[in-house]
Amino acid sequence: MKRRTLLLTIVMLLLAAMALAACGGSEETPPATEEPAAEQPAEPTPTEEAAQEEPTAEPEPTATEEAAAEGEGEMGPQLVIWADENRAPVMQELAEQFKEQYGVELIVQQVGFGDIREQFKVAGPAGEGPDIIIGAHDWLGELVVNGLVAPVDLGDKQSQFLDVALQAFTYDGELYGMPYLTENLAFFYNPDLVPEAPKTWSEVREIAAQLEADGKVKQGYVLQPGDAYHFYPIMTAFGGYVFGRDENGSYNPEDLGIDSEGSIAAAKWLDQMVKEGHLSPDVDWDTMHAMFENGEAAMFLTGPWALNRIRESGVNYAIAPVPNETSEGKPFLGVHGFMVSAFSKDPLLAQAFLTEFVVTDEVMQKLFDADPRPSAYLPVRDATDDPDIAAFGVAGQNADPMPAIPEMASVWEAWGNAITLVFQQQEDPEVAFKNAAEQIRAAISGQ
Amino acid sequence: MTRATTGGGASRPSTSLKLSDVAFRLIGLALIDAVAIWLLMQMMADGVWILVTLLLIITIGINVVFLRPELYPLRWMSPGLALMLLMVVYPLVFTVYTAFTNYSDGHLLTKQQAIERMTTGLQNMYVPEGGTTYSWVAFQAEDGTYALWLTDEEGNHYFAKPGEPIQPATAGEGIFGPPDENGVPTSIEGYTRLNRIQAATNRDLPNIQFGEPPDAVQIRTPSEAAILQPRYVYDEELDAIIDQKEGKIYYANDEVGFFVSEDGETLNPGYIVTVGWRNFERLFNSPAIRGPVLRVFLWTVVFAAASVITTFALGLFIALLYNDPTIRWRKVIRSFLIIPYAIPAFISILVWRGMMNPQFGVLNRTLFDLFGYSPPWFSDPMWARLGVILVNLWLGFPYMMLVCSGALQAIPSDIYEAAEIDGASMWQRFRHITLPLLLVSVGPLLISSFAFNFNNFNIIYLFNRGNPPMSGTPTPVGHTDILVTYVYRLAFASGGGKDYGYASAITIIIFLIVASITFFQFRYTRMWEEVSENV
Repeated sequence: MKRRTLLLTIVMLLLAAMALAACGGSEETPPATEEPAAEQPAEPTPTEEAAQEEPTAEPEPTATEEAAAEGEGEMGPQLVIWADENRAPVMQELAEQFKEQYGVELIVQQVGFGDIREQFKVAGPAGEGPDIIIGAHDWLGELVVNGLVAPVDLGDKQSQFLDVALQAFTYDGELYGMPYLTENLAFFYNPDLVPEAPKTWSEVREIAAQLEADGKVKQGYVLQPGDAYHFYPIMTAFGGYVFGRDENGSYNPEDLGIDSEGSIAAAKWLDQMVKEGHLSPDVDWDTMHAMFENGEAAMFLTGPWALNRIRESGVNYAIAPVPNETSEGKPFLGVHGFMVSAFSKDPLLAQAFLTEFVVTDEVMQKLFDADPRPSAYLPVRDATDDPDIAAFGVAGQNADPMPAIPEMASVWEAWGNAITLVFQQQEDPEVAFKNAAEQIRAAISGQ
Repeated sequence: MTRATTGGGASRPSTSLKLSDVAFRLIGLALIDAVAIWLLMQMMADGVWILVTLLLIITIGINVVFLRPELYPLRWMSPGLALMLLMVVYPLVFTVYTAFTNYSDGHLLTKQQAIERMTTGLQNMYVPEGGTTYSWVAFQAEDGTYALWLTDEEGNHYFAKPGEPIQPATAGEGIFGPPDENGVPTSIEGYTRLNRIQAATNRDLPNIQFGEPPDAVQIRTPSEAAILQPRYVYDEELDAIIDQKEGKIYYANDEVGFFVSEDGETLNPGYIVTVGWRNFERLFNSPAIRGPVLRVFLWTVVFAAASVITTFALGLFIALLYNDPTIRWRKVIRSFLIIPYAIPAFISILVWRGMMNPQFGVLNRTLFDLFGYSPPWFSDPMWARLGVILVNLWLGFPYMMLVCSGALQAIPSDIYEAAEIDGASMWQRFRHITLPLLLVSVGPLLISSFAFNFNNFNIIYLFNRGNPPMSGTPTPVGHTDILVTYVYRLAFASGGGKDYGYASAITIIIFLIVASITFFQFRYTRMWEEVSENV
């Protein structure tokens, strides 16, 4: 008797567990956790329990959902926002202020920056996603083809944003986000070793050769193999490009420039650097920074994310724009911003929150202070008193927005491999880059 | 317990037991059914028919099993069977199904979802050509109704209430209070002025038509209101979406999962359709399969075999060493040796990466000090392969050690005594007694270990992502890429986004390869069983 009741209980529990699991399976990958206060899940795919409340358009409120579901209707409107660990605290602060001013609940859910896009893809269509995400502009291609984000209208505030940042968030002629920070590489050099920033990459090579001959450094200039992002400024300096741009500034996937004359010229410069022993294939990202920080290297390219560690190392440094050569050296521009979900039930409120509440000098300044990178909002950008941030801004003035078209996904791997093969002296630079271009074209043209 | 089901000559007390029993069973079943029906309804609403069918089978099955006494033994198995159906069979069926669909970036929604996404909501509203756009300020009356103060581009002002014609108005006249810098009255008699956020807190606001239809104005964005029309409309008869702005018709094309216009333009997002064998055809026509796939396959076999052999050899050696009861602290030492098994692999692989850094890594510095050579683990193909196998050895030997320690205990010691009397040497005892007897029990585990390493995505991906790259290949591929990481590159890392359908198709092919290899290995290991019979 006892045993049988126990069995029944177990069966019921199992069935409940199965049912929950099954529910999650229905969408193939379960959506993000629903609980407002939930920390970012340890694994990229969240727990099965999270899927509990899943796929109906209007989930019935249950105990697990806390305030989130009850808010629908009676409790007044609410907005859910996904932000990574750098931005969640400041958004939380703003949420309190917003609630006080307008009585609107702003629920900030912390999701790892790398996970936001994937989880949004699942949670959005299930009607469980956020109203707003904070992400990078180069996600747009993927988000737009999946119909996940809605256009935003910044109204008369549009003129207060950096032009190139707005351009970055424009896809198919529509603005899909409110930009708020920009990031790009700049040229770092050690003034103790290099009194004046070199103007061209040929100069970089000469200075490196001289410094190494004098035994002052291990490597005059450092670059890691396989890293196309850090190679792009060199490539553009030699006149190379990735995708050509049409008259509106949109990238054209038909016009691939990895094997253009300029790109190959840059590859040859790289080849020469390796051949003469100025660059080594054994350097990785950390090594590159460590070498600059302890004076073993005099020059390299890096972004605002490395500023803190370089400052802490105590090394003497200065920041300059990317050197030129036959053309202007331009880094990639990455823009982070707020995007509104196409599945949001309060699209007007989500947009009003952005244009009326976030786009103010005070809030934009707060966002900048929380994560100091050049602001995309001109009043804050122009008022920046940090000379290093300002220098990054100058270096990024003519930067090219990182292509957001889905075809870019086919580029990184092949392009990076070509750079590695030159570094390892396994292939002639021209052969390596031409082959990479062939690989990319094959991948784009329907594989 | 069993008596209760056999019925027949049951005594009085056991009959009452049976009654409460049945009651419990029925209540339990009712609860299960209630949960199941609720879930089924939700799933049906979502259109996940495979899962609906499966859950229906399970629910009916459980009901039958619990209501029919002659199926009593099955009651004990039913939870296991149900779990197996859901956790093993369902994912398998789903993978096979996905392999025949175009499920990928751009095709994540069902057709119904895609239509709904395109034809509803604020984002679908547009201002027809020649339409005026206004900037708006909302006012709320005491009874909760709204009114809009509109300003067109020329600076003319209007006041609009739902259902009444839009009237030109001037701030500072009549009920309108004095104007602010934009000419909008700061107050209106009987109304409260709202700022844009306050106004937007009402979800219905964009649906309200201000003015008299058809000239009524609706709010589109926080800064703009106008006479709006939905841009995309779905026509069920044509099975097409009509773009009212451009006057274009996009017909549903269930071959490609897109709404396509006559000039070949498609609408985002697309939807999921079944595509037959297209994913498989694409794989076999791809340059990737003609190119380096043979080299990748050979390396996969070498990697899996080397991983099994090295971990087994080291694990067995250590197990033999610490099987000797005379060694002190052997339990403590053995516990320490299990550590690599206990640390999450993704952490230890990254630590190894750091230690093998050619410039700063501890391992490489030591090797350089000792031999004057720092192996280029990440840039030379041979060293990279060796590096992967080494790290995998570190990760894998504790498992083999544990397995072997257990199996060694099971070998009867009298065989060894007999061998010793016959004058067998240490090596002979190992070769002719330990190894054959061990392989009987460990053999199947070695095979499963081989199958595991054949698909060991983590180590390759975390250690060096399959690099260094091979030169001159038609698709990007590295020297340490095994089949799974190669698949990952093909289906996820290149070519316009993630393609789950294609990935599933390749997965099925890989499964067939691994399954056939494992099959032949099991055939082979049956020989070991015969050996053991002869001993």
